[in-house]
Amino acid sequence: MSRDTNALIAELVDGLAPVRPLRFSSGLGFALAGLGVTVTTVALLFGIRSDVIQGRFDPVFLLATGLFLLLGLASAVTVIVMSRPRVGSDHSGWLWAAAMAALLPLAATIIGLGRGSDAFTANAALHGIVCLIDGSALGLLTFAVLVWWLRRGAPTSPERAGLLTGIAAGSFGIFAFSFHCVYSDIVHIGLWHSAVVVMSAGLGRIAVPRLIRW
Amino acid sequence: MKADEPSRARLMGQAQAGDKQAYAALLDECQLWLRRYFGRRVAPGQLDDLVQETLMALHQKLASWDSARAFLPWLAAIARYRWVDYLRRIYRFQETELIDDLMGTDEEPAIAARISLERLFAQLPRPQVRAIELVRIEGLSVSEASKACGQSESLIKVNIHRGLKKLTAMIEKA
Repeated sequence: MSRDTNALIAELVDGLAPVRPLRFSSGLGFALAGLGVTVTTVALLFGIRSDVIQGRFDPVFLLATGLFLLLGLASAVTVIVMSRPRVGSDHSGWLWAAAMAALLPLAATIIGLGRGSDAFTANAALHGIVCLIDGSALGLLTFAVLVWWLRRGAPTSPERAGLLTGIAAGSFGIFAFSFHCVYSDIVHIGLWHSAVVVMSAGLGRIAVPRLIRW
Repeated sequence: MKADEPSRARLMGQAQAGDKQAYAALLDECQLWLRRYFGRRVAPGQLDDLVQETLMALHQKLASWDSARAFLPWLAAIARYRWVDYLRRIYRFQETELIDDLMGTDEEPAIAARISLERLFAQLPRPQVRAIELVRIEGLSVSEASKACGQSESLIKVNIHRGLKKLTAMIEKA
């Protein structure tokens, strides 16, 4: 045994303080609380769309928001699980949710191409950019919560953790903003709302690893 | 004395609660395990550094162990993460050394990296190993490497890309 290593062990033992183990339920609780605050922010700052308040739900709205919610949950859960390392863990469950959500831009492209130039007007792009900016901004709280959680934990795949943090943040952000956005058109939702998730995922992949590396 | 999994998990639970005696016993046990783990992966001269780095990481990330799960897979994940980080660092160091035209400084880290890489290279196809060796380790340009080994320049690039990708995947799964 190395003398230096034994000295290090003595130092580490001397510096031991009780720690509160990271609980999955706590991580999920923080993520859901962040989502709750985000939805409340949309209700207070932007207002909820009238058909939702009246209890009349558009099918495309329901499907799309449901898919974004599921994708956000699957990604957030994976991030929380990744904060507690373990050899042999499988972190690929979120891929199924991502594949399902990818049907939205796919459907939007097919329908948009069928409609021709009417589907891609400057006015439609303007509304889309508003959703892109506001949805991304609304994801920041989830982003911050998950980064904070990852920093407390010990993620051993920082790049993947960053990507998933971005996906979760973007999904929750656009899920919340969907309650304000009055457009239930599949082209608008499939392209612009999905773009929030894609942009946020890219940002997470680039920015998060350097914030959580240990 | 070698502790079994339930003993390690019990010691870790006590350590999380602040029991220093249990923590000392656990760290001793971890040191032995880490020496065996890294002993098959790095050069003997690098063993102490890696063991100590991993023990410090373990100390910093004590809260990330879940008492409902086994202890050893958690320790192995931390050890693997430190090992990957070590390989990246030593690889970068080696590249810097090549750029600085090997000033005749202590060659031990480069040799250590070489030994680690030799073990990984054994699992790659020969053309990929050759391309990585010539360009990334010996510092030749792509065209010089192409002339040296007879592979086309585009094949050199493809083999480097594929070889490094495989190496990363091997490290992640190790």
